[in-house]
Amino acid sequence: MTHMHIPDGVLPVWLWALGFVVMALVMGLSLYRLRGADRRKQVPLLGALSAVMLVAMSLEIVPLAYHINLTVVAGILLGPALGFVAAFIVNFMLALIGHGGITVIGLNTWLLGAEAVLGHTLFSLLGKRLPLFWRAATATVLTLMITTGLLIGIVAVSNANPVAFLEHHGHETGGQEGPISVERFAFMALGLGAVGWIIEAAITGAVVRFIAQVKPDLLRHVLHAGGSAKKGQEAS
Amino acid sequence: MIDVARIDYWAASGSGAFHRASVLAKLIFVVLVVAAAVLSRNAQALAAGYGILLVVAAFARLPLLRIAMLSLYAAIFAMLYGISLRGVGLPVYGLVIFKAVTPALAVLMLIVSTPYPRLFSLCSAVLPELPAAGLFMTYRTFFILLDMMNNFIVALRFRAGLVRGHIVKAVANIPRGIAMLLVAAVERSSRLYAVMAVRGYSGSMAEKEPARFARQDWLPLGAGAVVLILVIAWK
Repeated sequence: MTHMHIPDGVLPVWLWALGFVVMALVMGLSLYRLRGADRRKQVPLLGALSAVMLVAMSLEIVPLAYHINLTVVAGILLGPALGFVAAFIVNFMLALIGHGGITVIGLNTWLLGAEAVLGHTLFSLLGKRLPLFWRAATATVLTLMITTGLLIGIVAVSNANPVAFLEHHGHETGGQEGPISVERFAFMALGLGAVGWIIEAAITGAVVRFIAQVKPDLLRHVLHAGGSAKKGQEAS
Repeated sequence: MIDVARIDYWAASGSGAFHRASVLAKLIFVVLVVAAAVLSRNAQALAAGYGILLVVAAFARLPLLRIAMLSLYAAIFAMLYGISLRGVGLPVYGLVIFKAVTPALAVLMLIVSTPYPRLFSLCSAVLPELPAAGLFMTYRTFFILLDMMNNFIVALRFRAGLVRGHIVKAVANIPRGIAMLLVAAVERSSRLYAVMAVRGYSGSMAEKEPARFARQDWLPLGAGAVVLILVIAWK
């Protein structure tokens, strides 16, 4: 759950504005890298993966208030550039149905996009040293650990704004200390996250293994270490 | 599961004042309400703004109860964020909740009164071709997936894949189901894109949504302006 369900107007303007700027820059870079690619293959794959991510995100594991993201799957299948575009589409659609603020679309795209990019990179770096399931699962856990750290960092940096709105209510904020307990938030995010990472890793590993067995051409570009998807299938 | 199919039905079938307003005016309405949420320092002011939106939704014959309930979905996550606030009173928790639900309600009023092709057509005027085409394909594929997922769950039940008391078996089937959905979604999406390409689709909508105002725009523009002015004035 490494995207933020923070309402509009809670984070400082500079932070969410920076989120949009970074999103626009990375999006521009991604589209530049994709400029020569075949749209007939890209667009359906992008639509399918984004839709599956949306379906996955709308299924909540109730006791944990956790939902799977499948961003690492998207990163592995789409590659980093198209994976980032998918992250933007998913966040845009989620904001349209009230699943997170509109002003945090930039930061959320940044977080989910980072998952897609890191997931793809780590999956590729792990190479053939691990069976396919464990390769995808390990990449997922490492990716989610890093992006949860990013999420906590954003919340820590955002301490300024709630102070501003609390001053209007005359609450004490404890000098330099902001009203959000970063430790408490980190404890919650890492506590829930640790369970969530395992669930997400197990699902990602199983999904990637299934795809390698049933439709290996979807994975061909990341199973290139051995020259073909078939070898990846054998590794699983 | 968020009922996007129902939202699509409301958007396509309604004929109230919001349905007749231009997409541009409704987008400005959302921007005004989001600005109100960003600027608000007072839970009561934003609660009043939320109330005004409910009245406008009722006047515009939007599915009031359903969109009010859907907007509360945003409150669940706002409460999770609220837990991490410390040393604050109820007014601040209230403010966080209304900062979540008020823009959510505005966005829901937009999407239950605007068919997606019109919305995406206007979006494609400002977005690059690939994300705009991706948005449209995602939306279409999402509906196909919803249908397939229902069939998949029925098939699983028939084959005893989802039986109470057999948690391990059920859990093991979930990733397979997701993977199967993914493979099927890619195939359906490719076929859909091919059909659209044959019909002349080349990355942009055949019919462009005109970015101009209509006579019925007074309602969304007026409602958005009232909420923003209320929040600024109520300090």
